[in-house]
Amino acid sequence: MGIVLSTVEQGLIYAILALGVYITYKILDFPDLSVDSTFPLGAAVTATMITNGMHPLLTLPASMLAGALAGAVTGIIHVKCRVRDLLSGIIVMTGLYSLNLRVAQDKANLPIFGTDTLFKNGLTAALPDAVADYAPVLILLALVVLCKLCMDWFLRTRAGYLLRAVGDNPTVVTALAKDGGMVKIQGLAIANALVALSGCVMCQYQRFFEISMGTGAIVIGLASVIIGTNLFKNLSFLRATSAVVIGSILYKACVAIALSSGLLPKPQDMKFVTAVLFLLILALGEVRRKKVKAHA
Amino acid sequence: MKKLLCILTALTMVLTAGLALAEGETYRIGIAQFAEHGSLDNCREGFLAGLAENGFVEGENLEVDYQNAQADMGIANQIAQGMASGDLDLICAIATPIAQACFNAADGTDIPTIYTAVTDPVAAMLATEDGTATGNVTGTSDKLPIEAQLKMIRSLMPEATKIGILYSTSEVNSESAIAEYQALAPDYGFEIVVSGISATADIPLALDALLPQVDCLSNLTDNTVVSSLPLLLDKAGEAGKPVFGSEVEQVKLGCAASEGLDYFALGKQTGAMAARVLSGEAAADIPYEVISESSLYVNYDALAAVGIELPEDQAARAIDVSTL
Amino acid sequence: MLELRNVTKIYQAGTINETCLFQDFNLAVPDGQFVSVVGSNGSGKTSMLNIICGSIEIERGQVLVGGKDITRMSEFRRHRTVGRVYQNPALGTCPSMTLLENMSLADTKGRPFNLRRGTDRRRIAFYREQLSRLNLGLEDKLHVKVGSLSGGQRQAAALLMSTMTPIDFLILDEHTAALDPKTAERIMELTDQIVREKKLTTIMVTHNLRYAVEYGDRVLMMHQGKTVFDRAGEEKRGVTTETLLGLFNEISIECGN
Repeated sequence: MGIVLSTVEQGLIYAILALGVYITYKILDFPDLSVDSTFPLGAAVTATMITNGMHPLLTLPASMLAGALAGAVTGIIHVKCRVRDLLSGIIVMTGLYSLNLRVAQDKANLPIFGTDTLFKNGLTAALPDAVADYAPVLILLALVVLCKLCMDWFLRTRAGYLLRAVGDNPTVVTALAKDGGMVKIQGLAIANALVALSGCVMCQYQRFFEISMGTGAIVIGLASVIIGTNLFKNLSFLRATSAVVIGSILYKACVAIALSSGLLPKPQDMKFVTAVLFLLILALGEVRRKKVKAHA
Repeated sequence: MKKLLCILTALTMVLTAGLALAEGETYRIGIAQFAEHGSLDNCREGFLAGLAENGFVEGENLEVDYQNAQADMGIANQIAQGMASGDLDLICAIATPIAQACFNAADGTDIPTIYTAVTDPVAAMLATEDGTATGNVTGTSDKLPIEAQLKMIRSLMPEATKIGILYSTSEVNSESAIAEYQALAPDYGFEIVVSGISATADIPLALDALLPQVDCLSNLTDNTVVSSLPLLLDKAGEAGKPVFGSEVEQVKLGCAASEGLDYFALGKQTGAMAARVLSGEAAADIPYEVISESSLYVNYDALAAVGIELPEDQAARAIDVSTL
Repeated sequence: MLELRNVTKIYQAGTINETCLFQDFNLAVPDGQFVSVVGSNGSGKTSMLNIICGSIEIERGQVLVGGKDITRMSEFRRHRTVGRVYQNPALGTCPSMTLLENMSLADTKGRPFNLRRGTDRRRIAFYREQLSRLNLGLEDKLHVKVGSLSGGQRQAAALLMSTMTPIDFLILDEHTAALDPKTAERIMELTDQIVREKKLTTIMVTHNLRYAVEYGDRVLMMHQGKTVFDRAGEEKRGVTTETLLGLFNEISIECGN
């Protein structure tokens, strides 16, 4: 049970990141590599604030703000300096690496063991043992559901419509007398705010900041989005945002299965098994889609 | 939907199989290693040897679940959480980030974490300033014998003034090692020139800039730099400057010499600690340990290539890596 | 009054392929006029529209609206008073959004795109009514993604969207060219109806000489960046497709075709 629980917990943490990646990759059609640095940015802000005695709850808006700023910079570099999307992400990812070290008080690894976090504080300590085990997953679930609902709501506002339009067909945005570039910048800011929030939560969950924790974050995000949206494409009752959240949990489940010793001839084969599992999931989505077509 | 259910059922079955209960007097331990890396592998082998010496033999009364995070933090966390949720008797964590992840994951369970290859357990919050544990955790530190290394370089290169060090800014262990190098270097008449990189790809450029400024290079246990050692040796060789390693594996690969830790010995020492914990001692009651003795490892071919001869007094205690 | 004054446009300036499309080009369109523009490929019709809309920059000259110089105004700002329909039906709508969402977007033009609900439910009946005028059955497809509609349906929606909120200018860039004859006819009738109702100043580029003759109150033929034929009001009524076709042939002969 414990391993299922921890898999879900980590899936939920990365689900917040995946929601951010969903905005850039699926809605804005912008491959945003800055994610690899904005994820640890959120964690760096969090670790530094907590070691300086600030309340863990404060770290959530603070890291979101930091992430939003970084995302906006990616957008400005792309829109105002006319740098290719991939490259502007790379520029921010590279520059932010040093900045992250600065934010983390020049430490590549900053532990926050022994201090209060979202998951370990006076409140959770007061819970009866039977409930305490589920406290992290419940806190995370609440947070992810909140993020998802906010995003669903936002995408149905006028601003949200415009955001969807700019990725879909920038000409329409111009025709609406709106600056598509500004809309893109806003979208990148929102996306990276979510990514940094995910980093913030991860930092409090693992109770240390580590500069390398962002390596491959974009890969996890993209995989979650693609797994989620491919597998649940034709389930109209399931919003894309929910699909992305489930995608993230499935991603972590794949890794967990690959890690479980029974499947591995050698520990080195873990990544290969993970890759095969991804492929299986995507193939499953394809089979399901064909069935739906056959019935239609 | 049915297929999805099938997958989920399969998942649960696989997981429960992995968690099957141990029988009789068998102990079950998990080894979580951060990356594929010669020194860390030696650590792991040493650890198992240390346990075996104390009566815990893999395959007889010891079951080992070894997993490697392949330098991925996300996977490191999953390994840690997975191990902490099993009914293991002990987790051995090799290298700092995964040691922290295991310590965090096992917090609240009664599974002790024994770490090794953590350079600065205090900075990593795995131990307090006075050496006592911060929880159900203890282990060994692989702090570099920096003073011995400086002494060795001085005796091999009496004329040298500048030592170059390449390190990656992402590794907390490298930072503390650099600080110590810089503090001790003046005592031996050296100046330290550092060059920080963030990825393997930066290494060639950083070397081109660094090599002309220095008389020799000295390595840390920096994972990024060490993984590109052949390239580093190549470039330094072209410039005719010796490279001093930080442990025996590097000397085997072609570094001139090293006052180094024997990671196998370090692992063995950790294994002995783990044996004490398995026999009933509380991990929290065992202070973390540092290897104080270093040995001089020498690669005579590499030394000859840069025209250095080993002084008599050093030759007596030197270990020729070609004999290992 | 919309004016182009002494406009010079050079493509690939400073390279060996430098081509000068417009040299001191002038055009004045009084308010409320419906201008049809014809001309062979490469004659500068679409470039002229792009210059008016600010999609391309010009080397020299001015673009004026009501006497105000808007030469340096960005493309998106100019669209506050401009609606544009393209030849490609895909350009006027957002394919992965539903028809209702597209209509709502268009309806919000000129107002802040803030955190209010994207679709105003009270407006749905109005959208439905507008769509039913097209006779394309679109009023029942409000919740269908526009990407799965046919080209004609998308173009009709694009025309409605670009004229939904108050604008002064309507720019039509061969907007019936990609449609089948029947749908093209329907879209053209609808365009005329909207232009009259809203009293829009309209510039329509078309390859259909019959449309150029039948619709609008001024016809313009362009050739190599110059106006070679320009009839408005009473004079325009005398223009037939044969007149235009004759002119075309003359030009072609001049060019050695």
